[in-house]
Amino acid sequence: MYRFLLMICTLLFLLPGSQLLAGDSPQEQRHELMEQSKDAAKPVGGMLKGEMEFNAATAMASFESWATVAGEFGKLFPEGTETGYDTEAKKEIWTDRAGFEVELAKFDEAVSRAIAANPQSLDELKAAAGPVFKSCKSCHEAYRVEKE
Amino acid sequence: MRWILAGLVVAGLLFWWVTEPPSLNPAALPDHVADSANGELFFHAGSCASCHGEDLAGGLNLHSDFGTFVVPNISPDSDSGIGGWSDLAFVNAMMLGVSPGGRHYYPSFPYTSYTRMKVQDLLDLKAYLDTFQPVSNNPGPHELDFPWNVRRGIGLWKMRYLSQGPVVADTSGSSEIERGRYLVEGAGHCAECHTSRDRFGGLELNQWLAGAANPDGEGRVPNITPHQDGLAAWSESEIAYYLESGFTPDFDTVGGSMVAVQENLARLTDADRKAISAYLKSIPARP
Ligand code: HEC
Ligand code: HEC
Ligand code: HEC
Repeated sequence: MYRFLLMICTLLFLLPGSQLLAGDSPQEQRHELMEQSKDAAKPVGGMLKGEMEFNAATAMASFESWATVAGEFGKLFPEGTETGYDTEAKKEIWTDRAGFEVELAKFDEAVSRAIAANPQSLDELKAAAGPVFKSCKSCHEAYRVEKE
Repeated sequence: MRWILAGLVVAGLLFWWVTEPPSLNPAALPDHVADSANGELFFHAGSCASCHGEDLAGGLNLHSDFGTFVVPNISPDSDSGIGGWSDLAFVNAMMLGVSPGGRHYYPSFPYTSYTRMKVQDLLDLKAYLDTFQPVSNNPGPHELDFPWNVRRGIGLWKMRYLSQGPVVADTSGSSEIERGRYLVEGAGHCAECHTSRDRFGGLELNQWLAGAANPDGEGRVPNITPHQDGLAAWSESEIAYYLESGFTPDFDTVGGSMVAVQENLARLTDADRKAISAYLKSIPARP
């Protein structure tokens, strides 16, 4: 019995911290949602850059994907998840929660407006997506550290 | 003993002589009708507002290994700002790093790059600064340790590190690359962050734009030469799009101190951003 416990402990110890939290840890979900935001940005950016033909449905799919993120992301920063899974979240999210909520609200509003605008041309897409892109940047500036 | 004393006096005089702050000859200023719209472009290219503030009133603290620099007021207020300055005084500050009172500025004010700007563009820049509201604000003195608090010593530093010539000589005769070089090496002062420094704080020109320690602490300022550690995988139009939008080719966002720079560069013309990208793809690749 004692040997068994020791073995379990050793195993747990050998696993990197991130793996212990694997599955549904808030840190991992945060990461997934942001990867999703990035993947949604790619086609929109591609159209704006002229590398991809404008497509209203594709753009709308990206907006809706961002709307899901905007609804979920704020719930994933409970106490105790300041570190782990190589998180890029800045500690300011926990020390200045109100400021972080403001950034979340900006993102949420920009996305809602983009969906309401339902852009049907490249120019309209530019006007709708601009404020969303801006909100990604301004939240990252204050609440995310980039790690290599 | 007497000889040592005499030696010290001679050394002191020599130091005083070689560190004498210079001034441009007033005749060096061309006849020029200032164009404040062009000045505004250089205001953004130079990120003046990132340090001096949107209203130019100063007050930001810049922390460094040598102590804390307090950014001065450059609004057109005649007491606390630069309202009373002549064109010559302004050009001396920007190109030689010398104040109207004949003192050396610290290179925390990146005149080490601005020195490569054309006098005409500087006069346009001054005309643009003159369109701001005067703000009365005295941000106060720097807090520096000895010997860095002796301004005269900067004269020696400048002899070694202040030079107006281009860093990358070869532009293959392309006027676009030349324009990019002018913007990057001059007003854009990209090297002040993207190039490593020696122990006296001078830029290591043989490591031009190959990345540097991040003065803000974490991580490194990235390599932006066309090396595989740098921008090798970025196309020219991807670099230009990054400077315009703040998104990398992978659709991650710009971060850290580059955010303010990128937002300023977003206000340049497409042609200028393209020129910057063309220059960055043309310079020697370094690890
Ligand atoms: C309200 C704040 C906020 C907004 C808005 C936001 N992000 Fe993020 N982003 C973060 C934080 C915090 C992290 C770090 C999360 C972590 O590692 O725990 C992050 C991380 C990322 C990452 C790195 C993911 C990884 O872990 O590798 C990408 C890519 C990203 N965001 C893209 C976007 C895009 C694109 C948008 C806009 C469409 C966006 N983000 C909007 C706060 C935000
Ligand atoms: C990285 C920060 C930074 C940037 C960017 C910057 N400055 Fe400054 N500037 C300073 C600091 C610090 C000083 C004070 C230097 C000293 O006291 O030796 C200064 C001093 C000056 C002075 C002299 C003011 C005086 O009262 O003597 C002028 C003029 C000036 N800057 C103009 C500009 C212009 C124009 C730009 C944009 C093209 C600019 N600066 C960009 C940091 C900056
Ligand atoms: C105040 C310091 C500073 C100045 C000035 C500056 N940069 Fe940067 N730059 C950075 C930092 C820090 C990053 C990393 C940004 C990040 O982490 O997302 C960066 C990133 C970049 C990148 C993206 C590289 C990559 O691999 O992600 C490019 C391109 C770039 N800068 C170009 C320029 C150009 C061109 C100029 C001059 C016009 C310039 N920078 C001036 C600090 C600076």
